[in-house]
Amino acid sequence: MGNASTFGRRGWPASLILCGPAVVLYGTFVVLPAVLGFAYSLTDWTGWTADPNFVGLDNFRELAGDERFAAAIRFTLSETWMIVAFFTFGSLVLAVLLDRLRSVKGIVRGLFFYPYVLSILVAALLFKYLCNYNHGAINLLLRSVGLGEWAQDWMMDPRWVGYFIFAMVGWSAAGFFTTLYLANLQTIPTELYEAASLDGAGPLSVFTRIQLPMLVPTVTTNLVLATIFGINLFGQIVVTTEGGPGYRTATVGYYIYWLGVKNNRQGYASAVSFTVFIALVAVAIVQVALLRRRQVQL
Amino acid sequence: MSQGRIRLRFGWLEGLMLLAGAVFVSPCLLALLNAVKTNPEIIRDPLALPERWTLDNFKFIFTGMKLARPMLNSLLMCAGVILCLVTIAPMAAYSIMRRKMATGRLLRVFFLIGLTVPFQIIMVPLLKLFRMMDIQFTYVALLLHYVSWGLPLCVFIYSAFMATIPRELEEAAAIDGCGQVSTFWRIVFPLLTPCTITVIIFWGLWIWNDFMQAFIVMGPTRGQLVFVQLWKFLNDQYVRNWNHIFAGVVVLSLPVTVLYVIMQRRFVKGLTAGAVK
Repeated sequence: MGNASTFGRRGWPASLILCGPAVVLYGTFVVLPAVLGFAYSLTDWTGWTADPNFVGLDNFRELAGDERFAAAIRFTLSETWMIVAFFTFGSLVLAVLLDRLRSVKGIVRGLFFYPYVLSILVAALLFKYLCNYNHGAINLLLRSVGLGEWAQDWMMDPRWVGYFIFAMVGWSAAGFFTTLYLANLQTIPTELYEAASLDGAGPLSVFTRIQLPMLVPTVTTNLVLATIFGINLFGQIVVTTEGGPGYRTATVGYYIYWLGVKNNRQGYASAVSFTVFIALVAVAIVQVALLRRRQVQL
Repeated sequence: MSQGRIRLRFGWLEGLMLLAGAVFVSPCLLALLNAVKTNPEIIRDPLALPERWTLDNFKFIFTGMKLARPMLNSLLMCAGVILCLVTIAPMAAYSIMRRKMATGRLLRVFFLIGLTVPFQIIMVPLLKLFRMMDIQFTYVALLLHYVSWGLPLCVFIYSAFMATIPRELEEAAAIDGCGQVSTFWRIVFPLLTPCTITVIIFWGLWIWNDFMQAFIVMGPTRGQLVFVQLWKFLNDQYVRNWNHIFAGVVVLSLPVTVLYVIMQRRFVKGLTAGAVK
């Protein structure tokens, strides 16, 4: 392109008017707090005292031996694992099935996407009801068909609460990930399907030989999005279990909230969030790099 | 279309998937059914039709939970944030996309970083910042937060869309002596309408549904957004009144649901816009 800029050298006052508000707002209320967060992570700031004291890397040293942080990481990872598996493979299967529909496709897709437009608080209240021990629909159903001994306190039993969170999150966002796959499925040229049917390929080999390879870009996207989604689990915990029973469902995000907002250990909370953020960026970079290479091979 | 063709297009897979979809949204249907029943009835049998249809639960939403005012608060907040976003973000995107390569790319990266920052990272210092500015726990603080928080995604969506708009129109306007700012508003902004609709749907829905960020930024203030009010009311209760919970869920999801049914395609497109890079 000859002249890449519509704005000449003298265009800066106009640029200032156009770009200024966005840069100032975003810089002040998103970037500045993120940077301040790093600065606070080197202090013992409680959030209420006037002067935080500089403590160097003490917070990060404490972090290394923090049993509750380790537990939070373990729980977050176990949830993330389920979420990633479900949103990359479960949604993939659902999308392929939806794509095969010859009618009512819009309605069915609309039904599966619907929970995604609801508030997480709505999803939380519905699941709290379904899984309630005394009055919940799941236990009532089990008792009414004579399987009363299978009834569990799904939300308070440490064995089940992890699946409870997973079910709620999976229900809320399955439609979102499925839609991304559906959009990709629509870009597959019909010639490929026609050639496959001429060669007598069944639905299974159409799936493994045509659809799966063509869907790899979206698998990448969904894998990264689902991982980030899982590691950032936070609001869903606040509105359901509040980290309980005990500390069983405290995710890393919830632990930061608990430290910073409920326990006034903001310096330490900042250290935790900074560590998590670095990990998150690293995960995203590694995943994208790995899958790029995979894509070339396929 | 003849009877036979319809039958041909509706096979076992269609029936099965339709059933699966219905089961998938059944928790919502259950909420709708039980919102018109009394609490003892719900506990006895959630699947039974109500013996006596009652609208008392819905009345309670407004008399007991006092959700009318928070609803207005939420609507006003949606309007305010959207107004700010659809003016500030496209201007920035325009300036970024029509700049010389180096500065434009630098600014793009600057905004892109914002897409990766989770709220938990900035939440604590942000509250401190608001306290220093003496606007802690106010609507101004929440508005500033929502707008700033929404900017990276909006700038990203607008820039991607702007790359598809030809420059000739702007150049013609420039030759006619139209300044850059007025060129943007008169020529470019109208062309961005599809994008603006996406942004309105995405952030309108997001802010109406938001609980977490409003809860943290507004703290213990009395005037609240609608989902925070619902949460606070339910949290103060010792007894679980499922009928009230269901009525609240139904009423607060109703506007969203109606809009979703009317314009499903736009919703799906708008809500997945940020993900496809």
